[in-house]
Amino acid sequence: MISIGVQTKNIVDDHDPAEGYKLLKAVGFSCTDFSLNSYLTNTSLYKFERNDFFDRPIAELEQYFEPHKAGAKAAGIAIHQMHMPYPVYIPGGSGNLNGYLRDTVARKSLDICAFFECPYIVIHGFKLAHCLGSEEAEWTQTEKFLDYLAPLAKERNITLCIENLYYSIGDRLVEGPCCDAKKAAERIDRFNTRYHRELLGFCFDTGHANLTGIDFESFLTTLGDRLKVLHIHDNDGVCDLHQIPYTFTKTRENTSSTDWTGFLNGLKRIHFDRVLSFETAPVLSAFPEEMKIQALGFIADIGKYFAASITGNMSGPQETA
Amino acid sequence: MNILYSSSGIVDYRHPVQGFRDMANAGLRQILLDISMFCSDNDLENYSKYTKIKSPDRVSPICTPQALLQRVEPLLEQCRRHSLSVDCLRIPHLPWDSKRTELNPVLEQIAESAIDLCGRIGCRYLIVPPLFAGIEKGQEWQANRGYYLRLAKTAQEQHVTLLLENQCRSYNGHLLRGNCTDAAETAEWIDRLNAEAAKQLHPSDNIFAEPATTFGLCLDTGICTLCGQNMQEFITTLGNRIKTVILRDSGRHTESSLLSFTSAYQGQSLTDWLGLIRGLREIHFDGSLILYFADTAAAFSPLLRPQLLPLAKSVAEYFKWQVEIEDLLKKYDSIVLFGAGNMCRNYMKCYGEQYPPLFTCDNNRTVWGTEFCGLEVKPPAVLQDLPDNCGIFICNIYYREIEQQLRDMGVGNIEFFNDEYMPSFHFDRLPVDN
Repeated sequence: MISIGVQTKNIVDDHDPAEGYKLLKAVGFSCTDFSLNSYLTNTSLYKFERNDFFDRPIAELEQYFEPHKAGAKAAGIAIHQMHMPYPVYIPGGSGNLNGYLRDTVARKSLDICAFFECPYIVIHGFKLAHCLGSEEAEWTQTEKFLDYLAPLAKERNITLCIENLYYSIGDRLVEGPCCDAKKAAERIDRFNTRYHRELLGFCFDTGHANLTGIDFESFLTTLGDRLKVLHIHDNDGVCDLHQIPYTFTKTRENTSSTDWTGFLNGLKRIHFDRVLSFETAPVLSAFPEEMKIQALGFIADIGKYFAASITGNMSGPQETA
Repeated sequence: MNILYSSSGIVDYRHPVQGFRDMANAGLRQILLDISMFCSDNDLENYSKYTKIKSPDRVSPICTPQALLQRVEPLLEQCRRHSLSVDCLRIPHLPWDSKRTELNPVLEQIAESAIDLCGRIGCRYLIVPPLFAGIEKGQEWQANRGYYLRLAKTAQEQHVTLLLENQCRSYNGHLLRGNCTDAAETAEWIDRLNAEAAKQLHPSDNIFAEPATTFGLCLDTGICTLCGQNMQEFITTLGNRIKTVILRDSGRHTESSLLSFTSAYQGQSLTDWLGLIRGLREIHFDGSLILYFADTAAAFSPLLRPQLLPLAKSVAEYFKWQVEIEDLLKKYDSIVLFGAGNMCRNYMKCYGEQYPPLFTCDNNRTVWGTEFCGLEVKPPAVLQDLPDNCGIFICNIYYREIEQQLRDMGVGNIEFFNDEYMPSFHFDRLPVDN
């Protein structure tokens, strides 16, 4: 059965997590995407800086996150997926820093994921094609990292999910790791065959796909059941804005310039029955605080519309542009 | 590798003399003749929409095959006069958001006429964009298979290679990946078309023979850019099916045809030229590079255009030089480098093993006698005693200054090396360059 989720960032606060989860439930969500990446941000990592959050022993981290776990449970919210801090490898970063990201941050992320009984963790692939010279060489490094995590994930019953990402050339965003659905499908199958288990899956990010001109329907159809997790959000095709679906238009007719029809058709074709998870934290900083509840409720309503379209409980979208 | 100008933006088809003269004076001898010069996508879209022609320059009848052929004649005459040959012809496509399926037969008639024309003037390549208007999702191959196979017979008779082209599709104004943007699928299309065309035309031939190459691909860098594609992956997957490359920058977020390297933001190019060069190098590309900068050319005053064209030519020559950099290294029996900094280090990373330099030299006397990346660093004076056929590769961005220094010393075989588009890079740069 399809559920609706949203990321915790900008909604669930460490000072009173229960309140945030309660709010999620109240506006219509039943799942959440735990924003573990908020605890060690990419902006600091790209400056080769890190905080000491993940230095704590795992017992202490579990204690730290216990109110989240309890709050989510009390509210009836399932922590369905989480985002590992990223990047997990910084080109040009010191051996110490990259070692820390792998041996401490990644490992403890899996521990926290297991603590939350969360089945999926999203991992950004390495962005190394520029230096290494090819996408294939880049994947080899990502795969090594996944191999490193695989036994830990197996022990903890977690599926690692790779995500379609982008590179920036000037200020133009172009396809990055995991943007080729056929390759991703082959690689996932090969990986899982090696481990005799579904340890690797895919996280389809609608915003990133929209930025790189990817055909949603075809991509999703190629992935099929390898698709485990979604990051649903919208943008203008130019910047990674993480806004509400159907927000952007490009013509005088003012029809959505993001192919949500293709998205829903793709999910329908693969009989998607997991969580429609929105990665729309920036919406909540764009709207006034006083409208947070309505904004969240609107996102949840779009999720319900999506779910109904996919399951055929209403007249779903058919046309293709 | 050939370099071609596209006539678009340079030649005004109503008064073509000046544009052709500018191209001839700029020194290139081959061109792409783009029929959309006088039958644009919008002209096609308006085909037969109007009964009264208010502006003959803008509306549909110019897109009839007969009118096109009539209009192209004066241009061909100018080509002859200026010793320019048409190596490639391109037929127009409908606007990306067109739904006018009923115009597809018109496009086929135009393509048929264009093939005949190519045969008549000895033009090797005809770019025939895939049909898309009104074609249902999932039906693209079937619709285009019939279209291309119908054209194949004439193409073979006329010894013309038909080039498919990567396309956008418009989703409510947002340009997304369209036909021929999935490299693996495009390769399959081309291979199947070649095989089926061979079978269709020579059914009794040896089944083990290589299929004739009636079809290939024209890679449009502008479309790759608009669709956010990884050009290196795209090119290496397609390999030698790519016969021509349209070199153009696109606008920041809209389709336009700009001179390469002119679309930039905060000191960085907005096009993945690294991917293009790496890809073309990997496949040992030996086809045609087509300079397509209609918007840049048209935006320049006609007074400035004669100066723009040689610059464009230099840009294409630069691409050719980058793609063929190994050929330059192979040209000499031995080589030495000039410079003991990042560029020298990058040379050694990517080419040092296959083309080992005898040594490097540097103007910085404090490094003379030291070793850098496994090379002895010597003073420039030693360059006067090099063996015959030894190339001196300047590995320092102050190219012209060093070149002059070497010329003043009376040494020859001076070449430039450049590390902007290397097959791979170090993860770091040395803090201070010499």
